[in-house]
Amino acid sequence: MQPDTQTPQPQAARKILVAEDEQFIGELYLRALTRAGYDPTVEIDGAKALELAKSDQFDIILLDLMLPNMTGMEILERLRADAPQLHGKVIIATNLEQTNEKRAAIEQHADGYIIKANVTPKELVGFLQNVA
Amino acid sequence: MNYLQRLIQEVRIVLLVMLLLNNILLFGVWYVAAEVLNLRFEPIVAVLLFASIILNFLLAWGIGAVVNQPIRLLWRNILHVSPFEGGEVAVGKLTTIWLGKDLVAALTNQVHQLAMVADTVAQTSASALPDLHKNFVANSLPLPMIVLDKNGNIAFANTAALKYFERYESDFVGHSLQHKLSMVFSQADQDFDSWLQDAQNSSATATKTWESVNVTRGEGQTPLQFDLAAFYNKDNPEGAETLLVCFDHSEKYAQEDQEVGFVALAVHELRTPVTMLRGYLEALDEELDGKLDAETMDFFNKMKASSQQLTIFLNNILNIARIEGNQLDVQLQEAVWSNIVGSAIDSMRLRAQVHGLSIVTDIPADLPTVGADPFSITEVLTNVIDNAIKYSSGKGEKIVIRSYQKDGMVETTVEDSGVGIPESVIPTLFNKFQRNFHNKASISGTGIGLYLSKVIVNLHGGNIWVSSKEGNGTTVGFTLNTYASLSDGQVPGDKAITHHSQGWIKNHSMSRR
Repeated sequence: MQPDTQTPQPQAARKILVAEDEQFIGELYLRALTRAGYDPTVEIDGAKALELAKSDQFDIILLDLMLPNMTGMEILERLRADAPQLHGKVIIATNLEQTNEKRAAIEQHADGYIIKANVTPKELVGFLQNVA
Repeated sequence: MNYLQRLIQEVRIVLLVMLLLNNILLFGVWYVAAEVLNLRFEPIVAVLLFASIILNFLLAWGIGAVVNQPIRLLWRNILHVSPFEGGEVAVGKLTTIWLGKDLVAALTNQVHQLAMVADTVAQTSASALPDLHKNFVANSLPLPMIVLDKNGNIAFANTAALKYFERYESDFVGHSLQHKLSMVFSQADQDFDSWLQDAQNSSATATKTWESVNVTRGEGQTPLQFDLAAFYNKDNPEGAETLLVCFDHSEKYAQEDQEVGFVALAVHELRTPVTMLRGYLEALDEELDGKLDAETMDFFNKMKASSQQLTIFLNNILNIARIEGNQLDVQLQEAVWSNIVGSAIDSMRLRAQVHGLSIVTDIPADLPTVGADPFSITEVLTNVIDNAIKYSSGKGEKIVIRSYQKDGMVETTVEDSGVGIPESVIPTLFNKFQRNFHNKASISGTGIGLYLSKVIVNLHGGNIWVSSKEGNGTTVGFTLNTYASLSDGQVPGDKAITHHSQGWIKNHSMSRR
């Protein structure tokens, strides 16, 4: 029996960047996003992810906070500083709970926030449907 | 001393004079009897004897009266100032005595002076004694101690307190406590000001202790952390209405804060494999769709349900750690209650199914929106539903979730028809680490779900309760404020962020700064 999450509607091949250093989690999201009609790219390294994001080719950027070479917070701040006209939405997807101070910064700079362990890949896709 | 000698001399003179007078009178009587009346020998003796008795009698009485005068006067004067009979005996006058005026005057003077000194000492010691105690005992005490008067102003702070809070006495004493010391209390606890108000309104005495109270210091300094004990005593005669004592634990609590950080880190680490577990179970489910028999499907669902439960449990642990560290953030916003309940049920449906239970709701469509933090109120729902599932007694049972308006709040009940909770356990059900023991070996969990739910519901401004009968099911109920009742400025009208139960998303791209 399938859990009754809604069947994701096919997207017009929206491009999504997944900045995630855990290989298996990246694979899971890749699989689920592809099945839902997205065009996903997975990047493990933080610095590379920042460059990719700045290229502004993505509709959604799914950003983990713990990345090698640059943390998600740094990437977020640099992105806002260097590419203020970015059209893509940045969604923080992490397993690390934030202190109150960090949370304020995230609310200011990010467009969304989700705890990975709280959702299955399909539920994540469902959540992303709400991103305009 | 001279006065005394003078008195003695005066007494001697009086005695001498009186005795001489006596003898002369007797002689006079004899003369009259013998020469004037020419009585014979025996009648003369008789008359003399008679006269002698009378005269001696008068003499004794007279001398007694005169010699006793000073003593009598002294007696009166002393009694007059006696603390026991004072004032009831009037002061005597010096003019009434013939002998020893000076002595009596001097002695009376001495006695009066002694009495005055005694009075003064008694008075000053009565007022100095508490001050003496305060200043000596209190200042030697190594514990910071503060005394408040009726108005909540600092009446006294001992040396240890001034040192601990790094204040000068002039800057501290006489000011309001609230003003000078902003104490931060654990979110799960009543704060000092509201406790004091309660005590002032309803008790003659009250005591309370708080753990891990914070006071921030200057920039770059770690905050002071201490346990606080407060004693309230209405109508204390010295006006020392409230007494506070602080037990410093800054080092210990700083270490515990690190432990909170440790918990957060541990939870983070645990979440990684949980994410993968849930993800691959889902992927496997999709791949095997239709290819598994019923029994294998059942195994599968149980795995999925367990991994969901892991998530809930990790969230609970983290939230408890945050409560301890005063970091639990509840952001109230307008929420459609049926949506929140719906998504909570979605996440629990599989688990219920695995136990052979179904969840039904009874929520009217016209229920007003509530003021709630979707993240944490969902945790409450999942924990309460989780409990209902845990304590169910068999397959086929229903868990019923009802919501309705009551007394201006939105009340929700989650009712199961399970094994119920014994009455003896109910009062402590919402305590931390309270576990409800049952016969069923399958009961798991360490009893933090209800404690967490209580803290969160209270932070929402609502109440939570349980009613249960052993063998007859349990109902957990809680109330939430309607959004309308909160939106008089209390709830941030931040419509730019929409909270879902898993996370939040900003509505406009323009809201980026």
